[in-house]
Amino acid sequence: MLGYFIQRCLQAILVMLVMSVIVFVGVYAIGNPMEVLIPPDAPQDVRNFIIARFGLDRPLWEQYLTFLGNVFVGDFGYSFVYNMPVLDLILSRLPSTLELALTAVLGAALIGVPLGVYAGYRPNAVSSHTIMSLSILGFSVPTFWVGLILILTFAVSLGWLPAGGRGETVTLWGVEWSFLTANGWSHLFLPAINLALFKMAMMIRLARAGTQEAMLTDTVKFARAAGLSEATIVLRHVLKLISIPIITVFGLELGSTLAFAVVTETIFSWPGLGKLIIDSITNLDRPVMVAYLILVALLFMTINLVIDLIYAALDPRLSRGGA
Amino acid sequence: MKLSRLLQAGVIALGLGTLSTIATAQTLTVGVRGGPESMDPHYSALGVHADAMKHIFDTLVWSGDNLQIEPGLAESWRSLDDTTWEFKLRKGVKFHDGSDFTAEDVKFSVERIPEVTGPTTVLIYVRRIKEVVIIDDHTVHMKTDGPAATLPNDFVRLFIVSHKAAKDYSTKETAAEGFNSGKAAVGTGPYKLVSWEPKGDLVLERFDGYWRGKGPWASVVRKEMPNDSSRLAALKAGQVDLINYVSSADWLSLKNDSKTDTFLADSVYVMNLQLDQRESTPKVYDLDGKVLAKNPLRDAKVREAIDLAIDREVMVDVVLEGLGRPARQVMPEGFFGSSEKVIARNYDPQRAKQLLADAGFPDGFKMDLYCTSDRLPGDGAICQGLGQMFAQVGIQTKVNAITRSVYFPAQAKREYSAFMNGWGTLTGEASYTLGSLAHSPAPDLKLGAFNRTDYKNPKVDELLQAAGKELDDAKRRALYEDAMERTMADRVYIPLVNLQAVWAGGKGKLKMTPRTDEDTLAFFITPAE
Amino acid sequence: MATPATPLGRFWITYKESKVGVVALGVVAVILVVAILAPLIAPQDPYDLSRLSLMDARRAPGHIGTGGYTHLLGTDAQGRDLLSAILYGLRISAQMGLVAGIVGLSIGATLGISAAYIGGRTEALLMRTVDLQLSFPPILLALVLVALLGQGKAQLITALVAAQYAYFARTAYGAATAERRKDYIEAAYGTPLSRRRIVFRHLLPNCMPPLIVVATVQIANSIALEATLSFLGLGLPVTEPSLGMLISNGFKYMMSGRYWISVYPGIALIILIVSINLVGDRIRDQLNPRLRR
Repeated sequence: MLGYFIQRCLQAILVMLVMSVIVFVGVYAIGNPMEVLIPPDAPQDVRNFIIARFGLDRPLWEQYLTFLGNVFVGDFGYSFVYNMPVLDLILSRLPSTLELALTAVLGAALIGVPLGVYAGYRPNAVSSHTIMSLSILGFSVPTFWVGLILILTFAVSLGWLPAGGRGETVTLWGVEWSFLTANGWSHLFLPAINLALFKMAMMIRLARAGTQEAMLTDTVKFARAAGLSEATIVLRHVLKLISIPIITVFGLELGSTLAFAVVTETIFSWPGLGKLIIDSITNLDRPVMVAYLILVALLFMTINLVIDLIYAALDPRLSRGGA
Repeated sequence: MKLSRLLQAGVIALGLGTLSTIATAQTLTVGVRGGPESMDPHYSALGVHADAMKHIFDTLVWSGDNLQIEPGLAESWRSLDDTTWEFKLRKGVKFHDGSDFTAEDVKFSVERIPEVTGPTTVLIYVRRIKEVVIIDDHTVHMKTDGPAATLPNDFVRLFIVSHKAAKDYSTKETAAEGFNSGKAAVGTGPYKLVSWEPKGDLVLERFDGYWRGKGPWASVVRKEMPNDSSRLAALKAGQVDLINYVSSADWLSLKNDSKTDTFLADSVYVMNLQLDQRESTPKVYDLDGKVLAKNPLRDAKVREAIDLAIDREVMVDVVLEGLGRPARQVMPEGFFGSSEKVIARNYDPQRAKQLLADAGFPDGFKMDLYCTSDRLPGDGAICQGLGQMFAQVGIQTKVNAITRSVYFPAQAKREYSAFMNGWGTLTGEASYTLGSLAHSPAPDLKLGAFNRTDYKNPKVDELLQAAGKELDDAKRRALYEDAMERTMADRVYIPLVNLQAVWAGGKGKLKMTPRTDEDTLAFFITPAE
Repeated sequence: MATPATPLGRFWITYKESKVGVVALGVVAVILVVAILAPLIAPQDPYDLSRLSLMDARRAPGHIGTGGYTHLLGTDAQGRDLLSAILYGLRISAQMGLVAGIVGLSIGATLGISAAYIGGRTEALLMRTVDLQLSFPPILLALVLVALLGQGKAQLITALVAAQYAYFARTAYGAATAERRKDYIEAAYGTPLSRRRIVFRHLLPNCMPPLIVVATVQIANSIALEATLSFLGLGLPVTEPSLGMLISNGFKYMMSGRYWISVYPGIALIILIVSINLVGDRIRDQLNPRLRR
């Protein structure tokens, strides 16, 4: 187990190294970030001064090694656009994205799993077909489109909910959160729904497929033969049987939601990481891009590791094989 | 001039003083498209950055609603000789921490810029200054590296920070921490910094000791909302009192909306088509798609044909839905150095075809047109409109409306033949625009830095060089007007439309005079009774 | 009833039990035909700038334009006939989805089957890479790639393929390993039976059913991903609008009531994706042996 753990960590470091090289070289290939940032009317001497000041006059490999050296002491460098350390910038945006993603994924699971189990339990009922059709719709309709419709309906036409922004926040553990105030919730609601729909469709389909298979397993057959009530069978056995794929997806989706929030945050002016990364891409803010991708990679590998450990806990047979 | 300006400023100050007593303790919430990049005013020269900074800090020279220069923290200025400008500073001005504003702060502010500037550099405002000499507490001499006729214009975005508060926060490493935390963000402006989050909210609180008088709002919140539709939705939902940069798509419906007021101003941006003048150019082809050996854009007939093919009225009325005005020159009308006498810009497709035939292209030619699609409102749409108009006179145009992060580097590398982008005359006068665009590239003279067409007209060069050294306003103006007329007649830079900016607020709630530089300054926005 | 001889025929017999599946397949077929024939049936070539007129810009559905015909779905900001733009947009979207899907399938299946066939360190290395990539959100990968590669069809397809090949690789690998472990293949390894034969006669056919299911889903995903990238301003150039680009261009007119510029392309996109997903769903149900009665 320990060897496996170390192996995974080494792997993670390797991936992050590769990632940083690709992004570094890639951004350099599209053009000198300074060409975009330095004012068009700046004369050549000013231009050279600035390029040298940000160390961009040095060869790429040297810039990269400097960067790498700094990362090892926890310094990701300064954003080209924002006058602050990249790490501070990212950490200051992380809570709002995390809050949005968690709300969305939790909501999706709490609604999606029961619906999916029902649809799998009674696959031929009309209501199940309706659920499945809706899930296909949720799967298919692009997130940005739903976001637009939500804003037009609930914010502009009906005026029930705000169209964007984060609303009032309360500081807890030194971080600001929206979900502790009513006003915060009113701002959180629409973007969370927007982000949740796709996940919910996924949860429904997953839970349904799992349930359908579970109903055919021996466990359920025996339980039925033993005269257990249907409710007990579903709640106790089926849910347990489908829990592994659901937890996997939950974990992975939490991660991918952080990334997918790009779209929702853009539409709802949610001040999270997604907006930051889109802007850093258009501005070629290389330090932010590199750091963001490295941190996301780290996040995903952590999530994967945690999922594997939970697997092992849920199913002792899996702990030997590794995933 | 000095006395009348002073009186004028006094009247403004008094007027606002009375207004502010009427105003109750209110909050103005503004939804802005872009926010500042730091709380250090010397970090970025971006317009949105300066807009936010003008709430907290002041400048020596103030630019008015139409970019006319007025006294700011400097009450007056004059040039003593070819390389010295004298600035007399305003007395009795206090910083937010109660300390006095003196010459020391000016010198400190100028000198810290090379240490703390970001890539969108503020250095361009002080690059002509060799030395700042303190004569007394309220007099400074700026020594320049040569005659710098437009130095006062350069100063409209040169913010003055407190040398006491910012002393320990003026290196690359410390500036961000000091200013973003508010410790060093001490200015003489109408509002004090409460908090700021990058891409989030900027929260400000009134500074009661402001030298122009007390501001009309007790607090001001500027929320960054980059998406045009989201910003408008926030206004309609009552989340914000005012928004800037209403998109042309929404303008007409908002203007007729009984619940909103709109405020319209000409912007400093003019969209220009630029035509490469090199002997051979990469993106103009014959009808078979082969690159033409000889660059047809060097032929004055072809350039005139291109100009005549453009229907500017349609461009404004249809593409921009009325939000703009046809442009005759590369600067807004009325700016210092723009001319009444520039050539007319008529739409005449028949004559355009005739000219093309005369130039040896009876069946036209093929051309790639490049432009930005995400920099200024309507840039991509205008570009596509151009493509249609050129197609109609026989120039088969492939339109490439692309992101600015690709466009500008490629444009600088001279990869394009015909290209379009906006140019903002941010200083309100011609040296900035013609000096960068119309002079042939001459790095040693610091002229023609943005001439990406190889345009060279010796007479224009001569006029621009003379104007740069001419300290007499009237003579300088005449030189620039002449240069403008000649440049426009050569049609290497073909102006298309002058953009306009629109603000929107709740009906009858606010009074504001929209500014040409597109700033949204809370101090000058008042609640309607 | 006589059982049809071909596997496809047998497949169809079961497939057509689901009405939804049949309708969805019909819709997909119609869309494909329409997309292929777009240049013939569209009233206008929306990319030919000389055919467009700004005078027709942003007209409501039913407007008779300068071209002399009725714009059934209205026009966009450049005076493009929206119906034509949607037909061409469907063409681009479908093309993007199909090409990305097929290239992704080929690369993914090759990797997956090779890994299963070769085994050992190659297997471990290949599948580790695939797993790592699977754990990374495709949209982020595509976003960064498009930013790095620039705009254009080829670049976009590269990004879409890079974002999705791993799903195919994983599926092919799963199916191929299951098959490989079976006795007859193990036995075949020991005989002079050609390797090509093992791969093409045994491993590949057994991988196909799950791969087809994944392919339908991934094609739908590619189309949605392309639309999303276009919406974020990182997709195809505005002069050759895909459905996503049309929606994105039209979005800014929603607030002022010119809904058709964004809504109709949106509906077209949704119909396309939903029907592909429904077909995929049906195939999946059918191929899942444990659910077959």
